[in-house]
Amino acid sequence: MEKKNGNTSLITSNQLRWFYYLVPVAALIIPFVANEYLLWIVNAILVYTLVTVGFNIIIGNLGQLAFANTAFFGIGAYTSAILMVYGGVPYTLSILMSAIVGGLAGFLASVTALRGIRLYYLAIITLAFGELMRWVYLHGDDVTKGSDGLRIPDDIFFLGIPLDSEVPKFFVFLLLAVLLVKATSNLMRSRIGRAIVAIRENEATTASLGIHTARYIVLAFVWSGSVVGVAGAMFAVLTERVLPEAFGLTEVIIHFGMVLVGGTGSIVGSVIGAITLTTLPEYFRQFPGMDELFFGIIIVLVLLFLPKGIVSLLWRISPAFKERYYRD
Amino acid sequence: MEPLLKVQGLSVNFSGLKALSDVTFDSFAGEVRAVIGPNGAGKTTLFNAISGYVPSTAGQIFFKGEPLHGLAPHDISVKGVRRTFQTGGLFPEMSALENVLAGLHVQIESGFFGIVLGLAEAREAEREGILRAKRLLDLMDLGAAAEQPVKDLSGGQQRMVEIVRTLATEPPLLLLDEPVVGLSPPMRDRMMDIIRRLAGEEGIGIMLIEHVIDLVMSGSDTIVVLSSGELIAEGTPEEVRQNREVLEAYLGHA
Repeated sequence: MEKKNGNTSLITSNQLRWFYYLVPVAALIIPFVANEYLLWIVNAILVYTLVTVGFNIIIGNLGQLAFANTAFFGIGAYTSAILMVYGGVPYTLSILMSAIVGGLAGFLASVTALRGIRLYYLAIITLAFGELMRWVYLHGDDVTKGSDGLRIPDDIFFLGIPLDSEVPKFFVFLLLAVLLVKATSNLMRSRIGRAIVAIRENEATTASLGIHTARYIVLAFVWSGSVVGVAGAMFAVLTERVLPEAFGLTEVIIHFGMVLVGGTGSIVGSVIGAITLTTLPEYFRQFPGMDELFFGIIIVLVLLFLPKGIVSLLWRISPAFKERYYRD
Repeated sequence: MEPLLKVQGLSVNFSGLKALSDVTFDSFAGEVRAVIGPNGAGKTTLFNAISGYVPSTAGQIFFKGEPLHGLAPHDISVKGVRRTFQTGGLFPEMSALENVLAGLHVQIESGFFGIVLGLAEAREAEREGILRAKRLLDLMDLGAAAEQPVKDLSGGQQRMVEIVRTLATEPPLLLLDEPVVGLSPPMRDRMMDIIRRLAGEEGIGIMLIEHVIDLVMSGSDTIVVLSSGELIAEGTPEEVRQNREVLEAYLGHA
């Protein structure tokens, strides 16, 4: 395909497509070889994959410095937990509600961007929104149980499957992650995805092509909020207790780190970022007191030597790995 | 003949400064109309006002009899008035093909759910768009560059991509802001050829801002001369060449 770049490409985009389909299929073997603890990490990776994919739409594709992602994550987690604890709502339905409420939070965040609040102003407003939500979780004692956290019920089912250990959680999380990553990928490689990236590149010109820019800014935020909202509902079941401090400023840094370490504007990069910054910190936990230092060092080193993220290593193997905004 | 575009008494003020005052003219299908004038004469402001990028202070703009004044840029574009920009009009990180596809946005009729679910109908609409974009790029000898990010293309190729992107929807009226700036003389002639063909063969109304006076004189049917925000002359190249006021305001300095 890409012949004129000099280096003959080893992998065509068609072969790559099969590779992408193969990854989740190959992952099905994990529960048979991993213990509960390893499987817990894999499940966390699946949650953070959606967190990063959703965040990356705003940071990488739309190019807006909006940091409301962690707020969407918390809103998704609390929505699902509250519905299950107080409403007796089945988990499956609560996931859908997390997507809807997350999308609404995304819509709210988009209003600031639409009103011309951009760059540092958008950054600080969205960060403040996240802290405000944390305040709500802490002080909404009657419902959220404050800093004790909200414990989700023991008997959780997804379409009749009891989620009583890491194994069934893995299959459900894998299904949700695959569905939402594929849907996001479809979206980003269509006229909608192109409009979103075009806005990042040059908003004024984008309008000259008849593209209703405000509509696509809202759409990007709503989709991002929905995807991350679902991740929140998964997180609630993963940790079994929803705590306010799981959605603080440190988490914003972790999420942002995943986007940058993986590669902005790249879905493959999002997955890589989620894997890297979930597993390595977990590994460094054996060095108490040093783990945060190691976490910082990873981010600094990657951004210093691979400013476009770890995904840029794959571009050296084949340009087919580069993000494209159309499907052939 | 019914005019394609009617500009009547158009004025634009920027905090007290008169960028355009009482500009009136008609523009027709199949006509190449050049807008000339010294720097700061209001040429780009005129384009910005027609395409909705700056609000007019007074006056009216009609396209095919419908008012354009007060509409947002994307609405004006959808109606069929499309423009290019003096600089930086492209999406640098996107490939030439993706740039042209963005230009076809309104024509590619794939809906949200069809796209998300990957339905056949939506994919077919996208595929048709891709085919059309590739064909357009081939026509302009840009086929080989289709997959490259436009920031890696030469200045001439970038201009071509922008024109292809703007033309992709076959707009009835095209506003080109300095389409040949930065191009080598052979490329310039080619670009002017293309512009003349678009007007002559496709019947597209073209307005262009241009500084190279030879190109304007040989390439346009009608010339509008602006000076300090006022329309000081309008006519064929021959008429404008002999206009005293124009000589003083503009050509005298050239």
